[in-house]
Amino acid sequence: MDRRAVFFLIASVVCLALTPAIPVEEGKPNITWIGWMTTISFAVLALFSWLDHRSRARRS
Amino acid sequence: MANFLVIVVIGIALVFDFVNGFHDAANSIATVVATRVLKPWQAVLWAAFFNFAAFLILPLEVANAIAKIVDKDVISIGLVFAGLMGAIFWNVLTAWLGLPSSSSHALIGGMVGAGFAKVGPDIFTSKTLTTLRKTGTFIIYSPLVGLLLGFVLIVVVMWIVHRIRAKRAVNKTFRSLQLVSAAAFSLGHGANDAQKTMGIIAALLIGANKLDASVLDDPEGLPLWIVLSCHGAIGLGTMFGGWKIVKTMGTKLTKLEPMGGVCAESAAAATLFFASINGIPVSTTHTITGAIVGTGSAKRLSAVRWNVAGRVLWAWVLTIPGSAAVAMLSYWIVEVLN
Repeated sequence: MDRRAVFFLIASVVCLALTPAIPVEEGKPNITWIGWMTTISFAVLALFSWLDHRSRARRS
Repeated sequence: MANFLVIVVIGIALVFDFVNGFHDAANSIATVVATRVLKPWQAVLWAAFFNFAAFLILPLEVANAIAKIVDKDVISIGLVFAGLMGAIFWNVLTAWLGLPSSSSHALIGGMVGAGFAKVGPDIFTSKTLTTLRKTGTFIIYSPLVGLLLGFVLIVVVMWIVHRIRAKRAVNKTFRSLQLVSAAAFSLGHGANDAQKTMGIIAALLIGANKLDASVLDDPEGLPLWIVLSCHGAIGLGTMFGGWKIVKTMGTKLTKLEPMGGVCAESAAAATLFFASINGIPVSTTHTITGAIVGTGSAKRLSAVRWNVAGRVLWAWVLTIPGSAAVAMLSYWIVEVLN
């Protein structure tokens, strides 16, 4: 099992779980996009990392 | 007498800022020292200068957020004193143990702890809860954003330079670039951390009726002497930086090359700029640790020394409750002495 992919996947889940907790303040820019952006980015990295690991395993 | 006490507590706040710079100096210079781009004394001077210069560039949103953490009707000289005592005690303890914990969270924990000792659960007004929620979520987000940016940056940079055969020239270029990234990180550190003390001093002066509460709506109206003294104190603290933490951050967590150093610092600087502009009090320690782990894990996950990262994580988890407990105790002692 690719440990890096698992790590990124856990990070993605943590970011997703925390997104609703980011407060939206009146008169200030909404920063909840940070939660979505990190969730998606870590999920994409987890996928790429797993694909990379799989292709390396097949070659060897 | 009240004036004298205000001056004493401002002095303690500036000492906290100095200790903050001292404690966090390692964050600004660990990678530059670890990759031998600068000698330690050169690195601290470099970081101290940019810590001080930060007030020229970034807005005072973090100061505003901190000034609002305890309601202006609740704040008193004794409360700020107790909050600072909690934060300073925690910083000194973690510095002594060689743990890179967060001065920012120690300060927030200290203020909330002292407030809780004074008025109980009433301390948690909607403003306080919003700041705590924002700070709490970014305790997790700031290292993760640093990690993400660090990882993406190093992968992109490695992809760009992997075809270049003159490895020595690449290394030389990144050694020079580290000066820029260390400067950017020091700017972010100076802006985010010095502003926390500014917020405390502003809250104290508002509580003592020495400053108009309108600065809470317009943080740019903060008196210049507060801004300059806070940046000066953190810059001086950085100059006397904590070497024990430099070792943990720069060499123990993961081994860094100049390329990794540039990517880690740039990622952390970008995260700190974002936080400072949006008034989010984040920990520079958490951010740079995440970024270093991000660049290290691009090679392989085992490049990160997870047992050291685990020790760091425990220090993070315990910071707010630890400093809050000391601040509560300090407040009760102040009350008894009163």
